[in-house]
Amino acid sequence: MQQVNRLKPFFENINFEREDNTMVVNFGPQHPSAHGQLRLILELQGEEIVKAVPAIGYLHRGMEKMGENMMYNEFLPTTDRMDYIAATSNNYGFALAVEKLLDIEAPRRAEIIRTMLLELNRIISHLFWLATHALDVGAMSIFLYTFREREFAMDLMEDYCGARLTHSAVRIGGVPLDLPQNWCDDLLKFTDNLNKEIDNYEGLLTENRIWRMRLENVGIISPEMAKSWGCSGVALRGSGFKWDLRKEMPYGIYPELDFEIPYSTSCDSYGRYKCYMQEMRESMKILKQLIPLYKESEPQLMAHAPEYVSAPKEDIMTQNYSLMQHFVLVTQGMKPPKGEIYVATESPKGELGYMIVSDGTPYAYKMKLRAPSFWHTGILEDLLPGHQLADVVTIIGNLNVVFGEIDR
Amino acid sequence: MRAYSPKQDVQKKAYYNDRFHVVPQVPRANVETNEQFLADVNALKEKFNVLDAYLEKGHLVLYVEPKNNVKVVTFLKEKLSYDMMMELSAIDYIATRGGFEIFYEMLSLNKHKRIRVKCFVEEKEELQSVESVFKMANWSEREMYDMYGINIINHHNLKRILMPDDWYDYPLRKTYPLQGDEAAAWYEVDKIFGKEAREAIGPEIRDAAAIDRYDTTRFSRLGHEVPYGADITNGKEPEHTPLAYQEEGGVKLFGVRLIKELHEDKSVELKKRR
Amino acid sequence: MAQHKVNYLANGGAPIVLTSIDKFINFGRSNSLWPLTYGLACCAIEMMATGASRYDFDRFGTIFRASPRQADVIVIAGTLTKKHAEFMRRLYDQMPDPKWVISMGSCANTGGMFNTYATVQGADRIVPVDIYLPGCAPRPETLQYALMMLQKKIRREPASKAMKRKRLV
Repeated sequence: MQQVNRLKPFFENINFEREDNTMVVNFGPQHPSAHGQLRLILELQGEEIVKAVPAIGYLHRGMEKMGENMMYNEFLPTTDRMDYIAATSNNYGFALAVEKLLDIEAPRRAEIIRTMLLELNRIISHLFWLATHALDVGAMSIFLYTFREREFAMDLMEDYCGARLTHSAVRIGGVPLDLPQNWCDDLLKFTDNLNKEIDNYEGLLTENRIWRMRLENVGIISPEMAKSWGCSGVALRGSGFKWDLRKEMPYGIYPELDFEIPYSTSCDSYGRYKCYMQEMRESMKILKQLIPLYKESEPQLMAHAPEYVSAPKEDIMTQNYSLMQHFVLVTQGMKPPKGEIYVATESPKGELGYMIVSDGTPYAYKMKLRAPSFWHTGILEDLLPGHQLADVVTIIGNLNVVFGEIDR
Repeated sequence: MRAYSPKQDVQKKAYYNDRFHVVPQVPRANVETNEQFLADVNALKEKFNVLDAYLEKGHLVLYVEPKNNVKVVTFLKEKLSYDMMMELSAIDYIATRGGFEIFYEMLSLNKHKRIRVKCFVEEKEELQSVESVFKMANWSEREMYDMYGINIINHHNLKRILMPDDWYDYPLRKTYPLQGDEAAAWYEVDKIFGKEAREAIGPEIRDAAAIDRYDTTRFSRLGHEVPYGADITNGKEPEHTPLAYQEEGGVKLFGVRLIKELHEDKSVELKKRR
Repeated sequence: MAQHKVNYLANGGAPIVLTSIDKFINFGRSNSLWPLTYGLACCAIEMMATGASRYDFDRFGTIFRASPRQADVIVIAGTLTKKHAEFMRRLYDQMPDPKWVISMGSCANTGGMFNTYATVQGADRIVPVDIYLPGCAPRPETLQYALMMLQKKIRREPASKAMKRKRLV
């Protein structure tokens, strides 16, 4: 005879007997809007929200502690699972942070390939954002259209690194693989197709009466609030700041590329929506500029730094010392200099930062992962009161939060 | 007697240390090399006691006293236009120095510069919350409290944020093992089924390499399936069973075929929409 | 995976003869499995991609339902953490019989790469799982294959057995 478990039904979250007639509703950790495990405890006065308390931590997997117990190259696939929609951007941020700590530079071709993957990931992430945001607001066919484009982009990623979702496509010191034969042509075909499709999506949504009514004047983040809450990425650009780390504090190969930063002075969801759409077009512009740069770069893929980075595979398989050094690096790990570093890159969600404190051993002393979505969810506490219940879903969707990042 | 293992830092350590390896230090530059930072540090030194200041990898790193943290941060925000705080957290130095090193990572949008303000607090010393200056500290300090157990005062809602509310101990401390202590291991079983179910469910299997290749009750090798619970320890390879998505011959009922049989080679590619 | 001290062969391991009514009911049940939208982490993205246009999940007769009261099968896609375990069990209890569980991805099978303090080492410590899907994240074709395996499994059981209360874990 099996025992019943200890969980009793509880109704503590729905409470009708309060004097001020507000209703407390639990927007629980499982809900159909696809943003992950957010628990919002809302106090409603009729349909209007009086108080909102977001509760997170339902996906806390202990990644920062894993960073203290794993070697640097070993930790790279774990960073994939932070922002799992655009996995290479996390990998790249981490690799860049460690490279800056080690004071090595990835070779030019590696930087070009990395930037191509980054911009492709940006497109994948924004397409996913559009899909889930439109699905929540109610425009369900956009979900199917954008996932179709996303499948083509994920085909490209799969051609390169073998994985659709959790790529680990970069290594500390460069990239492990060169682009396959027809990748650049496929990429051109993809961008041409996507340009037309984004026109379709904009045609469906941008001047749509329902879309505008649902998104305008909803989720207004004033500039002071954005700065005080540490918003970054589109949340900051939607409030009038023309701040993008790729232009303002550039890294990698971005100084050589020509692209614009869209920003919006109407601090509401509609402005942010337009920023995202324009950013997708800018990413495609960048990709087109990168292809000729790739073709004329020298074929070196990993940095030459024998203390920290292994030799290329051909050398490992044929030269004895390369094999020995690779063995030591993989089993014992590389010993970076003692010190601290904080490096931030512009991920599709915002400013993704890695703070690495190293004490000279192969395992980091502290690995702090600065996830932009953490504060974009915190801002809900200040943002939601005053809105209607239907706006909650719009705002959560519009802020582009990923729970892998928030809870780490 | 079992071997003594030090409990102050139970994180993984390198198993081999090269006797002659000298660890380099990340180069630190003097503040005078950068005029912008020099002006900022001098403005700060007039008002507060700056214990140390240097440049490291493009960041200005400042050491201040913990009792001044709110005032320093306010001064940086209002007078020196470091108007965004990007990150705040702590580093655990309990074993070596007896406390935590708190750092505040700030960014100036106008000057395009980053600054790191650090202060050292003892393990149980109180730390003022900077929530009144930057709202992002609301959640960041909750996370710092949750992970390290730092005593923060003047915070309006200092509750655990990432761990469950009734979690025991502070996970990111160096004394906390990666796989969790006894309370963590049985947390979900105790919560849902109660302590009595501990024997029935069994302990967690933390060994990543635990494979039982003769287990036929929970695993079946695709392509070499055997009946449930069969004994395959005799060393003979089970026969090859081809991969089948469906039952042989489809699903039939009263002689009527309910589900068509799937033939991969007979699939049709639709080139035109109907 | 859990090392349960539960006797799996309690109901006998003898082969079962199915009557026509059983076959008919099982046909109906297996071809209209309604999953609960239960995406936790990265595997949820692959589950959504399975439901999208290229790997259409709808052709199996599945409709993703938001409420556990209307769902047949729960696809645990993603890492189950100890904070969330209580809610997972609550959702599983709220589903009406007959119900099945597909554990998708390494994190739901065994805790995956997250061998840490906050991760439940396998969803089968909490709920009884029918199909385990390996992968990190498993491809959409793998999820489709798992669903077909579950359909095969359902068609093998006598119809009344599915309604009997399952073991606790």
